[in-house]
Amino acid sequence: MAIKDKYLIRPCTWIFLLLMGLTVVTWFIGVNQFSGLQISLMALGIALLKGQLIGDYFMGLRQVSGFWRWAVAIWLLLIGSLIGYAFYMSAQS
Amino acid sequence: MEKSKWPPGDLVIWIFIMAELLVFGIFFAAYAFTRANHVELFNTYQATLDRNAALINTLALITSSYFVVRAVAAIKMDDSRKCFQWLLAALFMGLVFLLVKGIEYQHHFSQGISLSTNTFYMFYLSMTFFHFLHVILGMVILIAVALKARAGGYSARQHDGVETGASYWHMVDLVWMVLFPLVYVMN
Repeated sequence: MAIKDKYLIRPCTWIFLLLMGLTVVTWFIGVNQFSGLQISLMALGIALLKGQLIGDYFMGLRQVSGFWRWAVAIWLLLIGSLIGYAFYMSAQS
Repeated sequence: MEKSKWPPGDLVIWIFIMAELLVFGIFFAAYAFTRANHVELFNTYQATLDRNAALINTLALITSSYFVVRAVAAIKMDDSRKCFQWLLAALFMGLVFLLVKGIEYQHHFSQGISLSTNTFYMFYLSMTFFHFLHVILGMVILIAVALKARAGGYSARQHDGVETGASYWHMVDLVWMVLFPLVYVMN
């Protein structure tokens, strides 16, 4: 039971702490009003990473095979590409 | 551990989650492409938003999601009491989110800001309020799951309901992870 408990909880606790840390990094970028394409893409990249961690560890999709394993990742990739492209376009104009 | 073909919880909630993600995705893309034509306007009004409140809300949602993970782990150990307690803690963090967001809205409305103020606020208010409603719906689901858990309605063998509610709640968290930098930070 103890081994099972450790297996279930401990990785998620680390992921929780990582998500909190990444959130503070994003807030730091925002509150200091850092701007520009690279900064925006970095904030977007952090968001996509956080999303993937939530999908894998909180939603439990890393224990799933087939389409559902990648459902959240596909969504993140699609919206990440669209948002990234829109910000790239606005930086070029 | 052997991999399952299906995600945790009821498959219907996952179809619903994908539909929700599609709608939010369209919102996000619309925001980003509209911003491309009004960069100065979006940057100017984005700077008026309270990023500290957004930080508190993001941390609250992540913590809430983590508590739900612990609730699922507890019921897998056949511990209904702990499952209920973790769900209560998750609901409290959800309440924190609603309270902070409510204060933000009150501040905007007291300044006469509305959907028709400008394009940025139209997107900001509609996207965040749409998400706000999802937080409320997620909390209603978690309350129902928590009450059933307290009544002993779930066990280590039968806990689909807990996983179904948890999956929806994580989706609400997931969407905010993109919404937060997009609306409050990226410029």
